[in-house]
Amino acid sequence: MEKKQELLMVLNIISNFTDGLLFFDEKDRLVLINKKAEKLLDINKKLIGKKAIELTDIPYLETIIGIFLSKQNLQKEQAKINEKTIEVSFINNKGTLIILHDITKEKMVEQMKNEFVSIVAHQLRTPISSIKWTLKMFLEGSFGQVKQDQKKYLEKIYTINERMVELINDLLNIARIEEGRYVYKPVPTNLINLIETIIKQFKEKAEVNQINLVFEKPNFSTKIVIDPEKIKLVLQNFIDNAIKYNHKGGEVFVSLKSDKENITVSVRDTGLGIPKEQQKRIFTKFFRAANVMKTDTEGSGLGLYINKELIEAHKGKIWFESKEGKGSTFSFSLPLQKNNNKIK
Amino acid sequence: MAKKLLIVEDDQFLRELVAKKIREENYEVVEASDGEEGLKKVKEAKPDLVLLDLMLPGIDGFHVLEQIKKDSEISKTPVIILSNLGQKEDIDKGMNLGAEDFLVKAHFTPGEIIEKVKIILG
Repeated sequence: MEKKQELLMVLNIISNFTDGLLFFDEKDRLVLINKKAEKLLDINKKLIGKKAIELTDIPYLETIIGIFLSKQNLQKEQAKINEKTIEVSFINNKGTLIILHDITKEKMVEQMKNEFVSIVAHQLRTPISSIKWTLKMFLEGSFGQVKQDQKKYLEKIYTINERMVELINDLLNIARIEEGRYVYKPVPTNLINLIETIIKQFKEKAEVNQINLVFEKPNFSTKIVIDPEKIKLVLQNFIDNAIKYNHKGGEVFVSLKSDKENITVSVRDTGLGIPKEQQKRIFTKFFRAANVMKTDTEGSGLGLYINKELIEAHKGKIWFESKEGKGSTFSFSLPLQKNNNKIK
Repeated sequence: MAKKLLIVEDDQFLRELVAKKIREENYEVVEASDGEEGLKKVKEAKPDLVLLDLMLPGIDGFHVLEQIKKDSEISKTPVIILSNLGQKEDIDKGMNLGAEDFLVKAHFTPGEIIEKVKIILG
């Protein structure tokens, strides 16, 4: 292909590209803006050649230039521009390419889905409460004496119904997490106290399952700015899994480490572990590993997904190491600085 | 004299179940199936405690609670919210309006609800 023809083709692609494109050279001068970007940003004058700093007074461009000039964290960001939700990506290569991807429709569909899940889950709670209350009152003899073997079945249904209650709670939590309005009210929290409370809650469950649950309490004390209810939920999910997917006589260790920037909490078990080929899907919604699905039919596959969302909403990291048949260690770390804890 | 409980709940079956449980504990029960009736019965029957649902036909439970707390004649009546809402905002709103407690129906058994009632009534 001839050079000229090649150039024409590239310009044609850029000009008609479905995403908005802007390119700033190494001196922060705007050298390219395509039609879609002009449309998204409602721009109708020539801006080519201007420096980024000169563009901050253009209403819809202001947000993007703000992110660009801050030169921090130039990854994907979502911005509300001109009543649209735009995903803004920055690619640095001899200048900066800014890609504007309109995700308004996806956001709307997602919101509708979340509202739907919320409504369904709330509606399900009423009949499920009726079932719960009736069964309990049967078991307590409100409707006359219940025979021992009948009681056994009623108790079984009661347990199954309780699982539905939990599943509905998980679905409601997820709908809210995905709407981005779940984590809030971060307050300085003593993480060690929080862990001790949770360990106490799990004592009985650990005993029933014959698991030795140990908190390797560190010799430092620390406060961290978090939403305590949510971090509690994360730890509950970790510990619950570690007990449930374990062997009789197995062990679960909860430990805590801290350096200058982060605080890391780990839950280590001597349990079933996760098959290697399935490890990369472990934080996916509704995913359950093949080996645990055989031994335990109760899990919903939502706990670790919820955990990942909650930790990331705290600007933290979550990860695990696991060997099938040996056990798993699940960890999360949270940044210690207050200002890093701005919640989405 | 037996203490009197008012239960405001639009689902008939749930209302009957709680009412039965309350009677077993030797309390007197007054029932209402919507917000308006509930508010009327708080004023007329002067119950010692109200179990209040939130999603009700007509005026909702939050509004009923607000009205109870505004009216000096009945404002001292303790109210326990018994609802299937239960997000943090709902709980905060209910507690700020002056509820004694907020119980999510699906998370409590009738027996546990009565325990809460007993704590408040002493």
